[in-house]
Amino acid sequence: MNMKIIIAGIIIVAALVFGAISFVDTNVEYTDFQSAASTHKKVQVKGAWLRDRDASFDGTKSQFSFYMKDDNGKEVRVVLDGAKPNNFELAEAIVVKGRYQDGYFHASDILTKCPSKYEADPASVKKTL
Amino acid sequence: MIGEIFVKLAFTAVLVACGGYYYTFTRGNARSLNVARYAYHTGAVLILSFCSYLLYLILTHQFQYTYVWNYSSTDLPTPLLISTFYAGQEGSFSLWTLYTTIIGVALMGYCAKRGYESEVMFVWTMILSALLLMLLVKNPFELIWNTFPKDLLRTGPIGPDVTNFAWVDQAKGIWAQFPVEGKGLNPLLQNYWMVIHPQILFTGFTSMAVPYTFAVAGLLRRDYQSWVKVAKPWTVFGAATLGTGIILGGYWAYETLGWGGYWGWDPVENSSLIPWLVCVSSVHTMMSQRRSGTFVRTNFVLSILCFIMVLYSTFLTRSGVLGETSVHSFVSPGMWAYWILLGFILLFGGFGFGLLLRRMKEMPKIPVEHTIYSREFALFLGAFAICLAAVFITIGTSSPIITNILKGKSSAVDTAFYVKTTLPLGIIIALLAGFGQLLWWKASTAESLLKGMIYPLISTVLFTAGLVAYGVRDVSMIIFSFSAAFALFVNILVGYRIFTGNPKYAGGAIAHIGVALLFLGFVSSARYDDKQTVSLPQGQSTEILGGYTLTYIGERPIDEERFGFDVQVQHGNEQYRVLPTMRISAKDNTMMRHPDILNMYTKDFYITPLSVETPDGKSGESIALLKGESKTLADDLKVTFVDFDFNDMQKGKMLEGGAFTIGVELLVELNGKKEAVKALMKNSGREITYIPAKSSLSDVEFTIQKIQPNKEEPAKSRVELSAADPQKISHQPKVETLVVEASIKPYINLVWMGTVTLVVGFILTIVRRVQEARGLNEEQESADF
Repeated sequence: MNMKIIIAGIIIVAALVFGAISFVDTNVEYTDFQSAASTHKKVQVKGAWLRDRDASFDGTKSQFSFYMKDDNGKEVRVVLDGAKPNNFELAEAIVVKGRYQDGYFHASDILTKCPSKYEADPASVKKTL
Repeated sequence: MIGEIFVKLAFTAVLVACGGYYYTFTRGNARSLNVARYAYHTGAVLILSFCSYLLYLILTHQFQYTYVWNYSSTDLPTPLLISTFYAGQEGSFSLWTLYTTIIGVALMGYCAKRGYESEVMFVWTMILSALLLMLLVKNPFELIWNTFPKDLLRTGPIGPDVTNFAWVDQAKGIWAQFPVEGKGLNPLLQNYWMVIHPQILFTGFTSMAVPYTFAVAGLLRRDYQSWVKVAKPWTVFGAATLGTGIILGGYWAYETLGWGGYWGWDPVENSSLIPWLVCVSSVHTMMSQRRSGTFVRTNFVLSILCFIMVLYSTFLTRSGVLGETSVHSFVSPGMWAYWILLGFILLFGGFGFGLLLRRMKEMPKIPVEHTIYSREFALFLGAFAICLAAVFITIGTSSPIITNILKGKSSAVDTAFYVKTTLPLGIIIALLAGFGQLLWWKASTAESLLKGMIYPLISTVLFTAGLVAYGVRDVSMIIFSFSAAFALFVNILVGYRIFTGNPKYAGGAIAHIGVALLFLGFVSSARYDDKQTVSLPQGQSTEILGGYTLTYIGERPIDEERFGFDVQVQHGNEQYRVLPTMRISAKDNTMMRHPDILNMYTKDFYITPLSVETPDGKSGESIALLKGESKTLADDLKVTFVDFDFNDMQKGKMLEGGAFTIGVELLVELNGKKEAVKALMKNSGREITYIPAKSSLSDVEFTIQKIQPNKEEPAKSRVELSAADPQKISHQPKVETLVVEASIKPYINLVWMGTVTLVVGFILTIVRRVQEARGLNEEQESADF
């Protein structure tokens, strides 16, 4: 019985250590472009799409590039692996996940946040009167 | 008004029922039982009524109700209109309440026959009243002028052209204008999946409360053994419905949303997976307890956790705590909902676990009689591994909260975390799903085990060798496939034997075959998919992905909003047509892509349109200019970038998301003559058009390609232009190019097949367990094979 408890204990501790290591390993920190530039780790940055700057899709590389301003106001070119995401125009905020390199942010993933559209706001109620 | 009153009355009725049931089992009063039953049925009728009323409001477009206005519109077809019932939080809580009510009615009858009614229904009415409390806070019947009093409430005379108004207080002359059109349903949700998927998912969520209820009832009655038998069919029912809901969601994402896969480890997906895993693991330990009386405490803990994890998941996805870390952007429901949800977790968690702690000492200690080579031990390990997977997924999903507490800044784990942590567990689970079926209760001999596994093992080794020969090199995938194949072959063999004996008992084996198929499907479709992005000029054939020749035939409109892209796919001697679509919503100009899938038995060919490039004949010389810089082109034509013209933007149009125009002022010089011209970029909100600058001096036109204004240092503002003579290039054929992402998902059918098999296994088990629970005192335990 004691043996069983020891074995179970070892397994649980091993599992927890394994989980903790994986957690730290894969944790993608929220940051801004400033500190993204100083690290080589994968990070995520929240900001807004700069609509007045060039945004284009490169069909040969299958990359979508656009300009984004983070919450601190730093503007950076973002190159996303993939096409312009659905709902991109609607997004009031976007989150890009990736690495900063050679003067631009190389994003592997993007999240678009469009709550305002489906949130009740006074401007939209006036439109439907 | 009426709706709100009904919610309040229902809340009262359910509370009365709750009290009545409490009185019944504490005092043993038969009259209070009758009161409780009447009260429950009254509550059920009231709940049914306000849900029907909400549906009626939606179907008749009563936009004076905020909820109806917020999620529906007059242009929706009836099935989708019905589905807007649960498009928002208030409605989905209503649906949850409705299903809890209905399942409660069934539960009442089921328990009355087995003598569990008062305790079970006491707990159930507690849950139901909690849900109703939520509806009192997040009222689906809120009137729109109460949501926007400043914007809609008016006094004074009503204009002659205003017909859409209602009196709020006629005595004081207060009236309100209400909308004549709703905001409509999120276009992403506008398909038939929206009609089916949430219904099944919520049935699953609701049934997760049943094991909790039985466990607490067991604790209240000091019944530590037989509750398991009564609860078992419900637990399996929960696992079956929630599992179906989860995979339907995955299929929805795969087939319609064009995410490319069926699983993305998104918090919303995870939050239904976690309770499901806990539930599945309790199905296993319950089986063991029923058989040999062990795992008394484990079963209490797991059954309580089933429901607590549903509440925790709801908290994660509905309270706004996850913030920016999910694709499913949930509206922050306000502080009230946040605290209520947190309160529910503490209340039901505290009640369940507190009671368990109090009863812990008096629980009988069942001496462990089984050896390591017993089915009990395999079940325990399996349940443990499944739970550990649930723990890891919970940690990953909660990572924004955990990091916020630890570091004061929230961050989420990458999806790699889930793969990394669950893969080893998946291997263990699959191996146990095989071994467990070969082991006897209490003890097995090494001989019988070896004898049982010889054929499956040979098949597994051959199968795995085949995979390696075929080109699978990833060691972790080889091990995972090996263990899944082992589970598959063992269960096929065992299942066949049971099936020929008594088909009713084959549920377990069939469910495990399903799991094994699912695992194999995960390996092939997720790890060995092949993806390629390709540009397809209209009419030209391009070969991709080793043997698929794609030809873009052309574009055709499907309806007002949708465009289909007709693509011919040639593979071997077979020719197919696919029609991936894009939908541009007329209401808000958003664009959505819908994939098309060629299902070919052994693989899916999956194609998503990325973009269409229409030729504009502006592919002339490209020039980049800083502010004030000049360049001389061929034919001595000199061009200077003077400045940007942002006048239009300063009007604030861009911020409103409306149309705006940006100008680039240029100075063109030829043979000493100068002319100021302007190139324009017009953004209509839907699309960007470029209007070239033309001058009278030359045929060359300048078109904006890229603009990079620099507000801090205007001198660094930059523009890229293309200079071209339309006369010279108009002879080039204009060819439209479609850019698509195509992928091959090998053996993805295994995933769907596995799911169906798993559910069939669950259903067989439910049937059998119900029959067993019916003859509660009758021991009809035959060995499972």
